[in-house]
Amino acid sequence: MEILFILGAPLILAILAFVMKNKKAAGIINAISYFAVLSCALLLLKRCVLSECRVSFFGFIYLDALSAFFIFTASVVTFAAALYSIGYVNKDVKEGVISGRRAGIYYSLFNLFCFSMFLVPALNNLGMLWVAIEMTTLISAFLVGFYNTKKSVEAAWKYIIICSVGIILALLGTILFSYAFAVSGVAKSLNWTDIAQVAHILDKNILKIAFIFILVGYGTKAGLAPMHTWLPDAHSQAVSPISALLSGVLLKMALYAILRFGFIIIKGVGFEYFGNLMLLLGVISLVISSGFVLVQKDLKRLLAYSSIEHVGIISIGFGLGAPLGFIGALLHIFNHAVTKSLMFFTAADAISVYKKHNINAIRGVMKALPFAGVMMLLGVFALTGFPPFSIFISEILIIIAAFLNGSYFVAGLLLICLGIVFGAFIYHFGKMLFGNLPKGIIPAGEQLSAKFAYLVLLFPILALGIVLVFKQKDLIWIAQKLFQG
Amino acid sequence: MQAIILFGVLISTYLMVIAKRSTSLIRAFRYQSFCLFLATLIIAFNEKQLDLYIVAGLLFVIKVLAIPRYLYRFLNKIKANEDLGLFINAQLSLLFALGFTYLAWVFARRLIVSDYALAAIVPAAAFFMVLIGIFLMIFRMTALAQIIGLLAAENGLFLLASTVSGGMPFFVEIAIFFDVFVSVIIMGFFIYRINKLFTHIDVNKLSRLRG
Repeated sequence: MEILFILGAPLILAILAFVMKNKKAAGIINAISYFAVLSCALLLLKRCVLSECRVSFFGFIYLDALSAFFIFTASVVTFAAALYSIGYVNKDVKEGVISGRRAGIYYSLFNLFCFSMFLVPALNNLGMLWVAIEMTTLISAFLVGFYNTKKSVEAAWKYIIICSVGIILALLGTILFSYAFAVSGVAKSLNWTDIAQVAHILDKNILKIAFIFILVGYGTKAGLAPMHTWLPDAHSQAVSPISALLSGVLLKMALYAILRFGFIIIKGVGFEYFGNLMLLLGVISLVISSGFVLVQKDLKRLLAYSSIEHVGIISIGFGLGAPLGFIGALLHIFNHAVTKSLMFFTAADAISVYKKHNINAIRGVMKALPFAGVMMLLGVFALTGFPPFSIFISEILIIIAAFLNGSYFVAGLLLICLGIVFGAFIYHFGKMLFGNLPKGIIPAGEQLSAKFAYLVLLFPILALGIVLVFKQKDLIWIAQKLFQG
Repeated sequence: MQAIILFGVLISTYLMVIAKRSTSLIRAFRYQSFCLFLATLIIAFNEKQLDLYIVAGLLFVIKVLAIPRYLYRFLNKIKANEDLGLFINAQLSLLFALGFTYLAWVFARRLIVSDYALAAIVPAAAFFMVLIGIFLMIFRMTALAQIIGLLAAENGLFLLASTVSGGMPFFVEIAIFFDVFVSVIIMGFFIYRINKLFTHIDVNKLSRLRG
């Protein structure tokens, strides 16, 4: 039943935001509702992990522990983004960047975007999964091009075209999966539960080819290199709370789709095939992005390339396999989502003070924004994998998995790239955080809602990082639960 | 009968490849969609399923009538240059297209499990359409050609789905139609904005974001 609320609330909020006159109140209602959604998602996760929960509305909706986990991740980030939006949009309206009406449109699009992302993990039908993912692209394209400047419209166009090509290939893959199913002579269906049940008798060759299309198609959406070219543009030009959603949730939903098909492949063809492909794409993403992180001049693009790097790490984790690689990758999905959102929010605060994206123009954030500056510093250490933050745990799990697996090359490469990214981040952010304020920059007050959003995000980063050290056994138990479905 | 329609699909796809102007590209797309509509209608007639009649009807309304008309009106409105801007000239494109035809055939022969060699013909045509769609998106400069390329690829997938897996489930088919329609409208909206901001729709010149 929780799922009805999780899916229904954004739809109602979208209409509400459009009709309400007072946009600040709309933002506050938004944030409160997403808190309710978050609590519901937590209940759902608990129910799905503890009991064999398979809710099913006419076979349309299918929920297991894995989908509940993705919905939960999405709900944490959307709650924080809703909180952050209040202050952010308010400021934009006050400064005359957007009109009051546009603020209403923003909240409507925000809610529709969230709806489409909550829908993705809840669906059982693979065709509808495709439709939902395409829907996320179409809605978020408006949010990428929201400011209507030359750069943002260009980014939106690239985003919509590259992702559409990707998604066409994904549809081709989906059709081939359904062909493999049709050839096997069982009933005609596109439901994941039906196909996964008979995966072992499906034609191996068709499955292999179909999965390549799926991987390239949804991989484009997930930001895996070399199909990542839309990502830095879209992330850097989108409205900042949306950048966090794109990086934290949207990429993960595409990974979710790949995983769903991956289960069929693991059952039908064997783990080797799935694992090697994921490892390959993961390593390419990692190497390409760490190079770009090093030479980046634009703050938001820097964070975008770091997203590609983390998606690469997640992909490597899945490629290394059960149980350590899988649980590491899943944890990393959550950890990266919250940490990257924190970074995007603080970066947005800095950009709104300095009015520039350029790293060289941003100096002395600590003096201009004491609270956000501290958060940014913590975020940098969390993102680069320092203890006691949560990303440290998931990265170390993946590295251990690589060593246990005998993939010394991958482990070595992972460590080298993490080192490069760490160095680059310390270098770039050290310059930005410390140093003297440039002339003419007045330290502005910080928004209360933004502070709340930071604390909401910081809590799981710290809590997971500390608690998980003592709870490895539970972790592995949950991992096994997650992959029963 | 089916062979004639398939032939029509192929010819209209070749027409898309050699089109140099936006209007002729849209017209070729309309022919292609019309052939698909006829093919679906025949399948519906043979299998006597109401679902398929509805799908055929939707195909006609959306892809033969609504989308081409929307694109024509749109072209008039933005008064953009008619020229498509070919990276690769028409003759060479045609050569590529012939190569793709063969490639699609080889791929389909390998993939389709059947004792009957000709069973791969329709899937081959479908793969060919997808390839040409992506080819148009890459090697034509205007934003409009990219939309048409996407639609052509989608047409190919429709053909593939209706032959190899006996069609998608009905509501999925409807959802995909709706999705395609909405995406064309949204892309049109963005072209309109691009035209307003940059005073052209040449995507090759959109290069502000680098690195």
